[in-house]
Amino acid sequence: MPEIRLLSEGIFELTKDKKQLSTLSLDPGKVVYGEKLISVEGSEYRTWDPRRSKLGAMVLKKFDIPFRKDSKVLYLGASSGTTVSHVSDIVSEGAVYSVEFAPRSMRDFIGLASRRKNIFPILADAGKPDSYAHIVEPVDVIFQDVAQPNQAEIAARNASRFLKKDGYLLLSIKARSIDTAASPREIFKEEVKKLEQAFEPGFEILTARELLPYHEDHLGVLAKLKE
Amino acid sequence: MKINTWFGVLDLGSNGELLTSELFPKTVRELALRSLSLKDSRQNLPPEGFDLATAAIECGFADSFSEYYSLLHEVTLESVKIQVSEALTPDQRVIQAVEALDDINETTNSLSERLFEWYGGYFPESGLIGEALAAFIVKYGSRENISPEDPIYLRARDSMGARLEAADEVLLKGFAESVCSLYERRKHVEAYIESSMETLAPNLTMLAGPMLGARLISIAGSLEKLASFPSSTIQVIGANKALFKHLRARAPSPKHGVIYSHPIINTSPWWVRGKVARALAAKLSLAARIDFYSAKKDPSLAGKLEEKVRKLRAENPRPPQKRQEGRAKPKKKRRK
Ligand SMILES: C[S@@+](CC[C@H](N)C(=O)[O-])C[C@H]1O[C@@H](n2cnc3c(N)ncnc32)[C@H](O)[C@@H]1O
Repeated sequence: MPEIRLLSEGIFELTKDKKQLSTLSLDPGKVVYGEKLISVEGSEYRTWDPRRSKLGAMVLKKFDIPFRKDSKVLYLGASSGTTVSHVSDIVSEGAVYSVEFAPRSMRDFIGLASRRKNIFPILADAGKPDSYAHIVEPVDVIFQDVAQPNQAEIAARNASRFLKKDGYLLLSIKARSIDTAASPREIFKEEVKKLEQAFEPGFEILTARELLPYHEDHLGVLAKLKE
Repeated sequence: MKINTWFGVLDLGSNGELLTSELFPKTVRELALRSLSLKDSRQNLPPEGFDLATAAIECGFADSFSEYYSLLHEVTLESVKIQVSEALTPDQRVIQAVEALDDINETTNSLSERLFEWYGGYFPESGLIGEALAAFIVKYGSRENISPEDPIYLRARDSMGARLEAADEVLLKGFAESVCSLYERRKHVEAYIESSMETLAPNLTMLAGPMLGARLISIAGSLEKLASFPSSTIQVIGANKALFKHLRARAPSPKHGVIYSHPIINTSPWWVRGKVARALAAKLSLAARIDFYSAKKDPSLAGKLEEKVRKLRAENPRPPQKRQEGRAKPKKKRRK
């Protein structure tokens, strides 16, 4: 019988032969992207590979993960839904507004989204939050993994429109999507500065850590709106 | 203040309180279509921090939160399905066909080579390759079945090849049939590309031919992207590895993109090819833009290109000898 340890609301560490990050499946019996399903006393857990998910890596890098079971989440950069599936498990009574702008990725995402009632797929440019303002309500958490040069700006625009005053931003910054030549350290410093100053009221950075050894040249950031 | 939401138009008072509302019909398809048009109009947006779910219940659109979310789930899903199916535009279909053609060519070449090797053991003197060989094997199988009227009858009779046993013959004929059908498939796909390009991008097709034109769109990723490229990029696309190096590390730009397969460059003397390529790329860029924005054919483009190339050739009748020497000098210096 695997040993289960709660790491954060809805996020578990299962120990059988080795330690495995996992979430409690909202859609039992279904494998989303090749993860393992592990049943413990009638509950089904889905293992979560931190190397395939920036959020998974943030959990293991001891970020304070702000998700609660009824959280409303705005997820920017859903891709085909690898990580969204775990967020959907975690906020089982909440909502995941999942924005992705590549139709091809969205096509792969639709199957997952249709089986999970708490996922609301949106095909739009996260740089234009006005284009989904008629759908998205104020949220507790914005999670962003878009790998774009203007990611600080994207975060700022979405936060000022949708983030509740006491909400959180979780962000993954990929150094090479910003500049291929400059050193990652320098880029991270610049991006953090942009997050703090680029807009009113600006973000207050709570945690900023590299996601090594799971993702190279990626910085994870947890922030909230300045008072 | 009037605001647009996915479930209706709400009128809010000065303190944000709900005054009146005009609700949309509660059918998923209808709501999805309206939501998509709101996505583009982006007018009268809800104020920042506006609680859509509570408002929907307050104005009577939904009886409960669970009804609200379950409808919103259906509506967002329907919207993205519509968007995804609309994303398969005519240029994306042509791109799939171009990529399929590449796969077919690769497979056909390797299977044809295999057939040549294999059948060569039984009739090495056939002198046939590719589609002709495959068709021959389908027709005759063993060279013993060749009729005396066939011009290669004598060659077959005197062949040094081994005897083809019945079991091997069945195998080879079946294999040859597959190869033949691949050649057939290739023609179908080519015909599809040709006819699609004529409607999708008539100007590009007129200047580049359907195959080269389709390849340019395929490498660019869409007609829209091709139309947005400066002609200097069009000149080099397809020189793949070299191009990416150029973009990433600012290495010297590669010269030979796919447009070098165009006859107008091929048939030019080598010393004007660079100039001709530049002129062709400029006109292709213009053609792609016209195709993307209007898709109306402008027959004068072809004449203008020809004229330009004729001039280039006339201005440069001989290889530029002086410049060649000039170029050689700095090389020597570098070696020292
Ligand atoms: C690194 S992937 C995200 C992977 C995903 N978060 C996961 O872990 O499963 C980045 C995604 O962001 C999308 N993206 C990039 N820019 C975007 C934008 N401006 N708006 C919406 N999506 C964007 C890309 O199409 C891509 O699918």
